[in-house]
Amino acid sequence: MTLPGGVHAETYQQDRALIRTRWQWLWFAGFVAVLLLLPFIGIGKAVGIATVIGITLIAVLGLQLTSGCAGQINMGQSAFMGVGAYAAGALAANLHWSFLLTIPIGGISAAVFGAVFGLAALRIKGFYLALTTIAAQFIFTFAMLKLPKEWFGQSEGLRLDPAALGSFAFNTDNRIYYLVLAVAALMTYGAWGLMRSRTGRAFIAVRDNDNAAEVIGINVFYYKTLAFFIGAFYAGIAGALWAYYVRYVQADQFTLWLSVWYLGMLIVGGMGSILGAIIGAVVIRLLQELITVAGPQVADVLPALGGQFVFAAMNMLLGGLIIVFVIFEPRGLVHRWNIVKESYRIWPFPH
Amino acid sequence: MPELAAAPELAAVPAPATAPIMRADGITLRFGGVTALSDVSFEIGASEIHAIIGPNGAGKSCTLNCMNGFSLPQQGRLFFREQDITGLPPHRIARLGVGRTFQGLQLFAGLSVVDNLLTGRHMHMKTGALQGFVYRGWAHAEELRERRRVEEIIDFLEIKNIRHKLVGSLSYGLRKRVDLGRALAMDPRVLLMDEPMAGMNLEEKEDMVRFVIDIREALDIPVVIVEHDMHVVMDIADRITVLDWGHVIARGGPQAIKGDPAVIKAYLGAEVRR
Repeated sequence: MTLPGGVHAETYQQDRALIRTRWQWLWFAGFVAVLLLLPFIGIGKAVGIATVIGITLIAVLGLQLTSGCAGQINMGQSAFMGVGAYAAGALAANLHWSFLLTIPIGGISAAVFGAVFGLAALRIKGFYLALTTIAAQFIFTFAMLKLPKEWFGQSEGLRLDPAALGSFAFNTDNRIYYLVLAVAALMTYGAWGLMRSRTGRAFIAVRDNDNAAEVIGINVFYYKTLAFFIGAFYAGIAGALWAYYVRYVQADQFTLWLSVWYLGMLIVGGMGSILGAIIGAVVIRLLQELITVAGPQVADVLPALGGQFVFAAMNMLLGGLIIVFVIFEPRGLVHRWNIVKESYRIWPFPH
Repeated sequence: MPELAAAPELAAVPAPATAPIMRADGITLRFGGVTALSDVSFEIGASEIHAIIGPNGAGKSCTLNCMNGFSLPQQGRLFFREQDITGLPPHRIARLGVGRTFQGLQLFAGLSVVDNLLTGRHMHMKTGALQGFVYRGWAHAEELRERRRVEEIIDFLEIKNIRHKLVGSLSYGLRKRVDLGRALAMDPRVLLMDEPMAGMNLEEKEDMVRFVIDIREALDIPVVIVEHDMHVVMDIADRITVLDWGHVIARGGPQAIKGDPAVIKAYLGAEVRR
């Protein structure tokens, strides 16, 4: 119910709802409309960028669940993504299975791989856990390059046919964009559902105070493993989509570097918040795109600097941005956004 | 503070009339060379307020830690409703119905008051990760159902106005109350409280005492309380177990404990003579 003093829920159902006012519905509908119409209104590389953002978002959402919500540091998210990409890719390239099967299987494969590293979380925390998950990265690369060539193609990687439903193939940028959009929307909705149900609260309980969690009957071991399972599942789905997007899978695409970027996106967006993962993934990806576009132009204007230098400088700028965030806004952009929201809601009264 | 002289005097009765809810049978707990508890036995009767007191380092908190499975005693057994719970992990013991509050602040700072209490409902809920992912339907229905129970506890503890606040932003006294609420949300069959009055002012203490008494009355469950504040203990406890250096040195009703020479020697002395 909307009163001059604000929006007041009258039922628990309203109190729990994600979208609570007519204006929020309007904004949401507008946002969805823009996403749906992007291929028609999009300029230049907009659709391609949006597709990459969508895939990144799914992986970052998974990392948010594992690291941001359940507090289990994970530096191997891109390896988990790679496992998903290879699993889906191998099934599609070698056995010609439908993407309706290979994408979920990619997710599950990554989830199982991730859960194995989650087992380590029972014994170790923080830095040591981070180190263990970095090991996932190296094991992944090593395994993919050494396993039989008929399975994963070794250094040649895997080449995929486009995802297809009957005679309809997701073989253009626009078509794959819609596929990614649908999956990303589903995964985002799922993450929100998880976080406002029993599992999500248990994750946060384990993160905030695992002793207290244990004392109220939460099986901490189970939920730490589950956090890795679900987070890696998201990564696997993202990897599988990536495989169908670039239609080429190779171990070099899934580096430790990428895992670190994903963590950077969480920090910039805001740890522990689904919206934070979305904001972080979008903002950092857009900045990266901006750099690839602006870099050569700066180099054209100032040829004395040289292309190499400009590119390196831009990356330093982006890295510097993360450092600035850690120092000045450790709770991320989503926290800033919440402050803005609070203040305009109660405007003109400061309390 | 209401006078609780009418509280049943159990000093003369060695064991409660009904079967004990919890029972420790000769537990001994060592950390390396330090013996924290040695041959400690006690019984927690149905719906009694049972205080465990003793000087610093006497082993009070260790006793609670054994009771809810944080520490595994090297010798002796612990029973909950005559079921042997020695060696069970804490979450299994919690699921049997052993609720506990903490000495310090052990809340989930990143969750609101309502969500902290809902976390206390965890073991009574069934939604799995997949149902959470779908959310609509089963998970949603369960959320609403459990919210009702949580709101009852919020009413009881008079924290309605802060239900949506993050607990990280609350005052110490209120956080203690939320901690109690989370334990109550478990619908425990026995409530263990580790120093509920520590660090509180008089008014907050009075509130907490009232809650402890009300809980016993309303829920008809025993409350085990580890406490330093002797006024509170003497006022509300039905029975008291006194520990010193890991040994039980006395047990009985408040009157008997007040007069027990071993207790006075070990600990109470000046406080009771007043």
